[in-house]
Amino acid sequence: MTVTAIPTAAAPVANPSPKRKPRPLSRGRDWVRVGLWVALLFSVLIWAVPLIFMVFTSLKSEADIFGTPAFVPPWAPEWGNYVEALDRGHLLTAGGNSLIVAIIKVPVGLFISAAAAFALSRIRFKRQRLLMGVIALGAMVPIQVAIAPLFQVINGLNLLSTNLGLILPYIAFGLPYQTFILYGFFRQIPEEIDESARIDGAGNWRLFLTIILPLAKPALAALFILDFVATWNEYSIALALLQSQDSWTIPLALQGFQSQFTSSYGPLNAFTIMSVFPVLIVYLMFQRYFVEGAFAGAVKG
Amino acid sequence: MSTTSTTAPSRTSRTSRPRRRLARFGSTGFIAALPFLAPALVAYLVFVVAPALESVRLSFFEWSGFQGAPQVFVGLQNYVRIFTHDPVFWTALSNTVIWVILSLVIPVGLGLVMALALNRKIFGRNLFRSVFYIPGVLAPIAIANMWRWMYNPNYGIGVNLAQLFNLPWLADVQWLGDKNLALYSIFAAFVWQIAGTNMVLFLAGLQGVSPDHVEAAKLDGANRWQVFRNVVMPSLRPTTVVVVVLTIINSIKVFDLIVGMTGGGPAQQTQVLALWSFQQSFNNHEYGSGNAIATVLLVITLIIVVPYMVWTAKQEKNS
Repeated sequence: MTVTAIPTAAAPVANPSPKRKPRPLSRGRDWVRVGLWVALLFSVLIWAVPLIFMVFTSLKSEADIFGTPAFVPPWAPEWGNYVEALDRGHLLTAGGNSLIVAIIKVPVGLFISAAAAFALSRIRFKRQRLLMGVIALGAMVPIQVAIAPLFQVINGLNLLSTNLGLILPYIAFGLPYQTFILYGFFRQIPEEIDESARIDGAGNWRLFLTIILPLAKPALAALFILDFVATWNEYSIALALLQSQDSWTIPLALQGFQSQFTSSYGPLNAFTIMSVFPVLIVYLMFQRYFVEGAFAGAVKG
Repeated sequence: MSTTSTTAPSRTSRTSRPRRRLARFGSTGFIAALPFLAPALVAYLVFVVAPALESVRLSFFEWSGFQGAPQVFVGLQNYVRIFTHDPVFWTALSNTVIWVILSLVIPVGLGLVMALALNRKIFGRNLFRSVFYIPGVLAPIAIANMWRWMYNPNYGIGVNLAQLFNLPWLADVQWLGDKNLALYSIFAAFVWQIAGTNMVLFLAGLQGVSPDHVEAAKLDGANRWQVFRNVVMPSLRPTTVVVVVLTIINSIKVFDLIVGMTGGGPAQQTQVLALWSFQQSFNNHEYGSGNAIATVLLVITLIIVVPYMVWTAKQEKNS
């Protein structure tokens, strides 16, 4: 599915010579296109307003924020806001925590989900469809219905305010969706492949690790990136489970900064920008796959 | 000719073959599947299923949530209380319903329009798509902070637009302070956040629309609307189902945006079930009420989601 979607990204280059005059018949249509384009440009500008507003504010001194209209660019950028945000917030500690959590959670969670999806799709046992349904249900239930008892569970394990205490529930809450998606993907791999591997004497583990997993690379890659973004951004579970400031992840540090320095608009916006930096980098690296719908296609199942 | 006649019977036999083979290699059955399933099942049971069931159990008890404090069985009292003595619950419930309904109309519609507009070769297409999509990868809590600043009554967007267009009344709007307006101000941020995600899903769905069919319809004299209505829309149906389900799930659990922008205020007018349940448990130490609200949320979700899952399972079986 993704395999077919990815190459299309390069297609627009092969436009026929744009210089050629449109045939008279289609001139009316051309005006429609121009009108559409202008409307799009206008909508895009509106859509960008919050981002522009934030970037401008983050680069303005306090005097400029209060004294100049918001849409006047910061002609004399005040980088001090970024220094101040770094200085007064807990950006680096929180960034470290977020990174550790994401780096462990994402691959481990994906592997566990893939193993479960393999069992559900390639090994026959009774009631496996029902089991898949029960697991998939977990993807649809809001986290908040379980959050108070979850606090008690983590507290009972003595893992409140630790990275591990966050990683475990993150893995668990990520499983249903990932298992469901990979289940759909694995089922599209022809069964003949299993047969011939088994004839060669491959057991379940070898089949899973050396044949099925490599074939699922596109889906795994898409899930990996989407899950990194989701893990980096998660707020409500972290809010319940991380009590001490040293254990905060990025969203908690941002919210903490916000409530502590409510009216330091410059540093606050600088802090917000720095907090979304890693996901923006990930986004820009894989931009084409995001917007071409390759991820969406891979993940829709 | 001969090839077609030979493939037909072999296909029928192929479906029954793997089962026998696999059985011979001894690699089927729950025991064989267990090592692959165990880590996922354990994590799922301990951190998702058990807490969800526990919240149903705790909804029949009164408890402060403190370790060692007694849990007193009170039967249905928590439910009686939230249904009859808790006006915030009703606000939260109706806000959640409003939120879901609005989400099904506005961001879904916008996403579809964006996708249709950007599904053609057009100058700057990737940049346009990017700008629409980027809010979808930002943390909702970061979006909440951005929009909170935009809605600032003294230096925010309203004041600036008021100056720009000479509309003094705009400067006085209390975007997040007006209790009739605040919910919709937050909802605007939600639209900004997810419309682009819907756009991308619809774009992926549009790849499945056959250009030949579109061309054929045009040759038959169909206008734009007829092409859309009769060719594009039917093939977008599976995508639309996915978008609708994702939208419902995402809007039922909206939490971060509200915490970050109003915390449920002013005067609890922007409460939603997910947030009110959380605050009752953690801030007000009313674990009983909090979990009763969580249980209501769980039941609502199941009522919506289970029929959908049964329906998809049936579709899958039929195909």
